[in-house]
Amino acid sequence: VRKHSQHMKLFKNKGKDETSLRRQRVEVSIELRKAKKDEQILKRRNISIHVKEENPTLGQGRSFEIIQPSLEEIMEAVNGDDTELQLLATQAARRLLSRHRDPPINQIIELGIIPRMVEFLGRADNAGLQFEAAWALTNIASGTSEHTRAVVEGGAIPAFISLLSSPHMHISEQSVWALGNIAGDGPLFRDALIARDVIPPLLALVSPATPIGFLRNITWTLSNLCRNKNPCPPLDAVKKILPVLIFLLQHEDKEVISDSCWAVSYLTDSCNDRIQVVVDTGILPRLVELMDSPDVNVVTPALRAVGNVVTGTDQQTQEAIDAGVLTVLPRLLRHTKPVIQKEAAWTLSNIAAGPCQQIQQIITCGLLPPLVELLSKGDFKAQKEAVWVVANFTTGGTVDQVVELVRSGVLKPLLNLLLAKDSKTILTILETISKLFMAAEKLGETEKLCLLVEELDGLEKIENLQNHENDMVYRAALDIIEKYFSGEEMTDLEPQTGQDGLYDFSVEKEDFNF
Amino acid sequence: MELSDANLQTLTEYLKKTLDPDPAIRRPAEKFLESVEGSQNYPLLLLTLLEKSQENVIKVCASVTFKNYIKRNWRIVEDEPNKICESDRIAIKANIVPLMLSSPEQIQKQLSDAISIIGREDFPQKWPDLLTEMVNRFQSGDFHVINGVLRTAHSLFKRYRHEFKSNELWTEIKLVLDAFALPLTNLFKATIELCSTHANDASALKVLFSSLILIAKLFYSLNFQDLPEFFEDNMETWMTNFHSLLTLDNKLLQTDDEEEAGLLELLKSQICDNAALYAQKYDEEFQPYLPRFVTAIWNLLVTTGQEVKYDLLVSNAIQFLASVCERPHYKHLFEDQNTLTSICEKVIVPNMEFRAADEEAFEDNSEEYIRRDLEGSDIDTRRRAACDLVRGLCKFFEGPVTGIFSGYVNSMLQEYAKNPSVNWKHKDAAIYLVTSLASKAQTQKHGITQANELVNLTEFFVNHIQPDLKSATVNEFPVLKADGIKYIMIFRNQVPKEQLLVSIPLLINHLQAESIVVHTYAAHALERLFTMRGTNNATLITAAEMAPFVEVLLTNLFKALTLPGSSENEYIMKAIMRSFSLLQESIIPYMPSVITQLTQKLLAVSKNPSKPHFNHYMFESICLSIRITCKANPEAVGSFEEALFLVFTEILQNDVQEFIPYVFQVMSLLLEMHKNEIPSSYMALFPHLLQPVLWERTGNIPPLVRLLQAYLERGASTIASAAADKIPGLLGVFQKLIASKANDHQGFYLLNSIIEHMPPESVDQYRKQIFILLFQRLQNSKTTKFIKSFLVFVNLYCVRYGALALQEIFDSIQPKMFGMVLEKIIIPEIQKVSGQVEKKICAVGITKILTECPPMMDTEYTKLWIPLLQALIGLFELPEDDTIPDEEHFIDIEDTPGYQTAFSQLAFAGKKEHDPVGQMVNNPRIHLAQSLHKLSTACPGRVLSMLSTSLNAEALQYLQGYLQAASVSLL
Repeated sequence: VRKHSQHMKLFKNKGKDETSLRRQRVEVSIELRKAKKDEQILKRRNISIHVKEENPTLGQGRSFEIIQPSLEEIMEAVNGDDTELQLLATQAARRLLSRHRDPPINQIIELGIIPRMVEFLGRADNAGLQFEAAWALTNIASGTSEHTRAVVEGGAIPAFISLLSSPHMHISEQSVWALGNIAGDGPLFRDALIARDVIPPLLALVSPATPIGFLRNITWTLSNLCRNKNPCPPLDAVKKILPVLIFLLQHEDKEVISDSCWAVSYLTDSCNDRIQVVVDTGILPRLVELMDSPDVNVVTPALRAVGNVVTGTDQQTQEAIDAGVLTVLPRLLRHTKPVIQKEAAWTLSNIAAGPCQQIQQIITCGLLPPLVELLSKGDFKAQKEAVWVVANFTTGGTVDQVVELVRSGVLKPLLNLLLAKDSKTILTILETISKLFMAAEKLGETEKLCLLVEELDGLEKIENLQNHENDMVYRAALDIIEKYFSGEEMTDLEPQTGQDGLYDFSVEKEDFNF
Repeated sequence: MELSDANLQTLTEYLKKTLDPDPAIRRPAEKFLESVEGSQNYPLLLLTLLEKSQENVIKVCASVTFKNYIKRNWRIVEDEPNKICESDRIAIKANIVPLMLSSPEQIQKQLSDAISIIGREDFPQKWPDLLTEMVNRFQSGDFHVINGVLRTAHSLFKRYRHEFKSNELWTEIKLVLDAFALPLTNLFKATIELCSTHANDASALKVLFSSLILIAKLFYSLNFQDLPEFFEDNMETWMTNFHSLLTLDNKLLQTDDEEEAGLLELLKSQICDNAALYAQKYDEEFQPYLPRFVTAIWNLLVTTGQEVKYDLLVSNAIQFLASVCERPHYKHLFEDQNTLTSICEKVIVPNMEFRAADEEAFEDNSEEYIRRDLEGSDIDTRRRAACDLVRGLCKFFEGPVTGIFSGYVNSMLQEYAKNPSVNWKHKDAAIYLVTSLASKAQTQKHGITQANELVNLTEFFVNHIQPDLKSATVNEFPVLKADGIKYIMIFRNQVPKEQLLVSIPLLINHLQAESIVVHTYAAHALERLFTMRGTNNATLITAAEMAPFVEVLLTNLFKALTLPGSSENEYIMKAIMRSFSLLQESIIPYMPSVITQLTQKLLAVSKNPSKPHFNHYMFESICLSIRITCKANPEAVGSFEEALFLVFTEILQNDVQEFIPYVFQVMSLLLEMHKNEIPSSYMALFPHLLQPVLWERTGNIPPLVRLLQAYLERGASTIASAAADKIPGLLGVFQKLIASKANDHQGFYLLNSIIEHMPPESVDQYRKQIFILLFQRLQNSKTTKFIKSFLVFVNLYCVRYGALALQEIFDSIQPKMFGMVLEKIIIPEIQKVSGQVEKKICAVGITKILTECPPMMDTEYTKLWIPLLQALIGLFELPEDDTIPDEEHFIDIEDTPGYQTAFSQLAFAGKKEHDPVGQMVNNPRIHLAQSLHKLSTACPGRVLSMLSTSLNAEALQYLQGYLQAASVSLL
């Protein structure tokens, strides 16, 4: 059973067997792979340099020859009382933390100056100092969980939240960024922020006049406030954020749209009730439209969001279908990026897990040809998902629909994938073949299917799988061979002892009651 | 047991005794060891012995005993006592790794096995330091030790290749990767460096290459489930080194052995597997390396020889190319005309050549050769891999590849033409090439079903295949003859019919070839041609077209059975059967000789039946002879009986179990051919057929039931008069069958025949008992199959004895029994009945109950009248079963549904379906309408009022249709 097994029971549709269930996106606790490259960035460091020029507090003569003080000097100055030195030291720390390679986050933390910098955040009289401290803390918070924790434990949360309303836009923006890093760390800090009422002042920053760079930062921070599960963000927070997200999704900037989509994808990666909250906003048609965007950074999260929606109830899936997801999927199944193919196939597999009316729409919308193409020449990750599409389709489809599927040429690539180096995929295919045979039996076409399977070199592959090391694979293969390709049938007779000579015919009467 | 010298001494003595050839000494020693293995310290004593014993033989014996002990006892089974005490477990785990590594190879292997058995249970949770302990040894520099570690690791990790993904599994793999991946990589690099420093030291190289093979295997296991981050980051190191190993050669590592693969071949094979794994699963990441591997592997193929020892490497390497060339984004690697030409010339063509080993098999092991060549059990052969590569390349380059090969085919054919007796292998390769190029899809039943349109198959056939087969000498170039015949066989659906007709006499001629492969292929080809379908589903080749060849065909087929090595050749016998079936009455003139030859063959093989398919087709042929002859001349049945009964008697007397079911079927067929009263010869046999010993054998039951049915059909009155004392025995058989869920339907066949044919008075006294027996089965273990048969029987009884008789006998068994059966069985279950005749019997029976059974009209059973009628209408309106047309000519043993080792149904002994109500009732719906009409005339108003008050509207509508069709109305 796939990694989703424990969840399957929870989402089980009545009357369907396990393989046909919608397969939720479940966080794998164990991953062998490198962290996914297509994920949205969790924490970001501010390494831009142009801000320096705008820095109003820099002394004229100094800006040209920057002397980098030692860490001890920084510590002394930060802890000292000289405001100018405080600023210079904070700035020096910020510069260290902003350098491209190996920022000395640990060393800075070890100086123990975080509480002091948090204190600087409150210096409404010294905007320069506020800004430098905010920047430095942002970059510390962009590190590992421990780094972020150091900032939070230094008391930064309330300080940054109040800075959201700073009259200086660059300070307010830097605070948004810092809060984004804190929220991105995980559900614990995210909820700590929400509990401190971060949302209203944050949302208040969004207006048609907000400069685009600032708006991107806000959107990203909002997306981190929607992110992470176990638990998922509180419902009333989500309800507050959603209208703004919908507004942002209409924006023309690709980055704003992309991060808004990511936010929606996090919100839908959850139980059906949460999916419903998103569906109720009527955002699905826009998301589907965005799935068709030329920009892969928009397509990826939009596809994820819609893909999550169709893990939900039949009704929720129907809403996605009505929004047009099936007309966009063919192109995505043929996308040049393997991850997109894979996500698209995963989405389709969950639609195929629905009732036969939805399966019919898969056929009507012309999804079978791209599915067959994907099965035969897609990337292996995508092929695996495509196998699930076929498996679910065969489980839930009517006999006519299954016939249509076979007619579309699915059998050849499906049988070829019996050579895949993945036991679970092989097992799923074998189970699917059994179901195809069940459909063929209903039509009295078993023999035809047998010939077809043999003709496509499937019989030989199934026969070889009888030597597979995996017990379940071996059994499934054996079962198909015995049932459909051997004709042998064993009877087990319970012999009754006869008397001498011939059998003796005699019966004793008993009371009958049927 | 204490860890004492005395105990070590005792144990040594017992171990020594377990090696004694005398069982009287050995067995008690083994028993003793088993009896003490539950004691504490026992495994530790064994470990001490295998380390410290003075005698080597005791060391080895102790290590084997230890491994078996671990195998039996280590696993802790839930609800069973722990068989090894905890302190022993801890001590074993603490000592076994160093002990394994310091032991000589023989013992090391045993301990390594033991470690993996323990590891399977305890690793990683209960044996956390195993990995570190192993990894630490990598630095030892001692490759004896290192290989021990690697071997153990391989046996621990290889399960990652086939197990399903799970959190538990992946947690373990992650742990292994964290501890193992980096040291393994370092070891890999170090070993490769050592290989170049020791490039001139043969014995060092051997050890180092053994390590490399194990490392490559570990790589495969660790990378199987998913691409680990570590290996993605270090892909450069691994792939660059794998690549250079593929191109490496060293004279010192070459072996003289022609058969056994050497270390170099094994390593390269494994690297091909590793590359194929990455190409299939991690294409995105592997893409930059793939072209290099394609080139390397292709160069490898070009430089590898024809010896058998390279077979695995070559077929692995070709399969790698075949899987890559099908992928759209690697198309460009092969696109270049020079590349394609070079692959065709240097990879495909050489590997299609007929090798000495093939020639040997063709001559000396023809059965195996035929199995591989005809039935496709050639998966790992070079020819097969080359074929797959052709198919793969044709996916994108069908035109160019066909073009290149056409050139080759032509030049090979020219070579052949120059000097056929020397160059015949060139033609063989040419034919093979054409075949692999042309065939896109193939089945056993139909041959090639999709062909490459760029290959002109007919032209090749006419110009290059037919001339060989037309040659006057059938024994010349047997391999080419076999190739030619096979060509006809597999392209039979592509070559036009007139060419097939031209080939038929040629094939018949080749039945005389001495080579087993050649005459077998000729018989098989004829058989396949005779099963081809033309228009209207009839055979493509007609009996009329075969008329000129009947005599020579039959003569050559039977003569082929006398050729050395083919006396029980199933392909020939099958061709005989198929010829009979096709030729029908044109075989009659040859029947005297045919039946003599068949009976002689039967007599000969019955001494020791060993070829089930041959035997089966032989009996089919006998049945066909009987049917075809007796159809034209029913009197001829006597002469068949005369010819066969002697052999049959011998078979029955000698109890030739394989043949007895067949004999019963042929006897049934013969008996059914008799038009008059049953001959006395059959009656003499009747009591013997009721012998319990015959019925104990599963395989006998269907044909014996069939035979008894034939007896009842033809001789019921004779049985009643001359063998009345055998009736209880006959019913006893029925009872025996009905007691079994597997055979109850056979019991009903027999019972139905008894009720239908036996004079009523002869079974009067048993009727009530019969029903009691059936009710018992119904009550205690009813199955759907039983209910279906039961319903048919009850209604047949009703048809035969009348509805009133049915009601009376039920109610005499138990009051209100009739109502209970109607309500609980007949009404709810009647729709389960399937089969046209069966449904008809039920319809007529129920009609009788409705209309000819007074208690249904005026007792408490009346309330069941409407439900019963409704059930009957339901039965009528269920979709009809599609009847299967008469397809027996095309029958194949594998298709026969009842085919099994114990009993094989003979298609040509088939029983015509019997319809006991056929004459009485033509259309059961009209019969119902008429019967209702009659009933309503007898009691006007009753029927109508019942219908109008209770019958549901839909049923009523159907009923009105029946009445209209019968032109009657109800009063």
